[in-house]
Amino acid sequence: MIRYMALFWEYIKNYAKTRLTYRADFWIEVISDLLFQGMNLIFILVVFQHTPTLGGWSEAEVVFVYGFFMIPYGVFSTFFGIWNFSERYIVKGEMDRVLTRPAHSLFQVLIENVDPPSLIGSLVGAIIMGICWAELGLPFGVIDVLVLLLLVLGAVLIYAGMYTALSAISFYSDAPTGIVPLIYNIQNYGRYPVNIYNKIIRFFLTWLLPFAFVGVIPASFFLEKKADDLSQLALLTPVMGLIVFGLGLALWNHGVKRYRGAGS
Amino acid sequence: MLAIDVKDLRKDFRVQKNREGLSGAFKDLFKREYREVRAVKDISFRIPQGEICGYIGENGAGKSTTIKMLTGILVPTAGQLKVNGYVPFKDREKFVNGIGVVFGQRSQLWWDIGVIESFQLLRKVYRVSEPDFRKRLDNLVERLQLGDLLNRPVRKLSLGQRMRCELVASLLHNPSILFLDEPTIGLDIVVKTEIRDFLMQMNKEEGTTILLTTHDLQDIEALCSRVIMLDDGQIIYDGGLEDLKARWSKGREIQFQFAAHTPIARLSGLTEGLDVSWSVENDVTAKLFVPHSVSVSDAMARVVGGADIRDIKIFETNTDEIVRAIYQSGSAEAAAAKKEIASS
Repeated sequence: MIRYMALFWEYIKNYAKTRLTYRADFWIEVISDLLFQGMNLIFILVVFQHTPTLGGWSEAEVVFVYGFFMIPYGVFSTFFGIWNFSERYIVKGEMDRVLTRPAHSLFQVLIENVDPPSLIGSLVGAIIMGICWAELGLPFGVIDVLVLLLLVLGAVLIYAGMYTALSAISFYSDAPTGIVPLIYNIQNYGRYPVNIYNKIIRFFLTWLLPFAFVGVIPASFFLEKKADDLSQLALLTPVMGLIVFGLGLALWNHGVKRYRGAGS
Repeated sequence: MLAIDVKDLRKDFRVQKNREGLSGAFKDLFKREYREVRAVKDISFRIPQGEICGYIGENGAGKSTTIKMLTGILVPTAGQLKVNGYVPFKDREKFVNGIGVVFGQRSQLWWDIGVIESFQLLRKVYRVSEPDFRKRLDNLVERLQLGDLLNRPVRKLSLGQRMRCELVASLLHNPSILFLDEPTIGLDIVVKTEIRDFLMQMNKEEGTTILLTTHDLQDIEALCSRVIMLDDGQIIYDGGLEDLKARWSKGREIQFQFAAHTPIARLSGLTEGLDVSWSVENDVTAKLFVPHSVSVSDAMARVVGGADIRDIKIFETNTDEIVRAIYQSGSAEAAAAKKEIASS
């Protein structure tokens, strides 16, 4: 573990060296990231121009959930930016190189793709959450910070597990699949109060593709209790995180054995 | 001790059959058909420590697949496999500490950062201590003359420079077995020679076992005491290079340069009764093919006695030709059968 941390640090240093030489590139990435998040936020604000509440949730509460969501999402994007895994490692065969080195294959793939600028999204999310926190007049204590950290960690693990599993599918399938963009679209539903959807979608988002656990469920822990009381599930977030990540990792480890290499 | 011990190694791939045309593509969308392709067919061989072994064969013969199984990248379908005392795919992370791998067609180095930084990163990955690393690196840099390349980014290196850096990268952790997959592909003759000399020296001094695949038979001639030839997933030859030549070469060619124009009919007359054949190069030069069954001195004596000769050259069949003949005939068995028919 300590060794992996040290390795991770080495990669970050090299990342900094190469990336910071292209300053414009760095800032463009940060800005485009934030613009994308900003669009989503504006969408929420526009919706609340037409209705005071959404399934019993006020504007500030929904924005609060969105702010919470941005924190684990930023952390996840930083460490799990493996969108191009299938293309780069399977189709082009870079996995060959990874597999001839003495460290866990997933770890190597991850540190080769770290993307620290995404962390700025987390920072902005925390600020949005802070503003809503004050606006809603919620109580605030040290314990809240600790729980927040725990829930963020759980949410990151859920994301990580889902995308590890998704990437691992490339080991089984011949061709790159369209599943990643599909899931990417589904994940967006988890940022909004899940009780506005019908029961099937709700069940789906809570237990099958548990994206509700990266946004609305953990965030509801800090908000006023609602009729359906999602906050009861909030403390399950880290448990879900461990389960989902465990499954993702298992699928990965099994998939690596089926890697077939590319070309000669 | 054996460095590599392979027994009945097999690798099957499931390949999707693509049907023809647009309607075929539609059919594939709903019902896919697969077929099993056996890339490596139950091969067995053993390589003792300290040997340099060449692994040759046509494109698609299964060389790379074997190398990938030996290095732990692919999991074999069946068979036993032991490299350096490990089963490669089982204890992958421990196993790879003891091997070095160079894929000629693919870079091990990080494209954007300096060569030395790539090396430092590899040092951390392989957990080599700083003093060991320094010593090793200085040694390698001196032997491969990399001095002024170390601070350049990899993307600015020429292919020859890059390949030398790849070699260093694969050797920093002092592996006892080195796998080279087409290490000299696309390199000029100077760099090729440098790399061969370097590998030879390393094998002598450190006893590193080397297994290399190549299409350049000069690599094999310069380096390998042993050759394994693969065709269609099966080993068709395993032994010394000299044996290979002796076994497959059909004979020698003698080129004569005459003082004056000598018609082929006259030459054929001279060698009447011997199982040899003539071919005319130009007015005053002709080549005589002498199979192993005929003594060279006999054939020469006849020609020398009957014509005015300015110059004589004798050509051994070179390895390229032998190997080409084997590849073309499909397999060694077929080649052997043909040879028997020819000689009987």
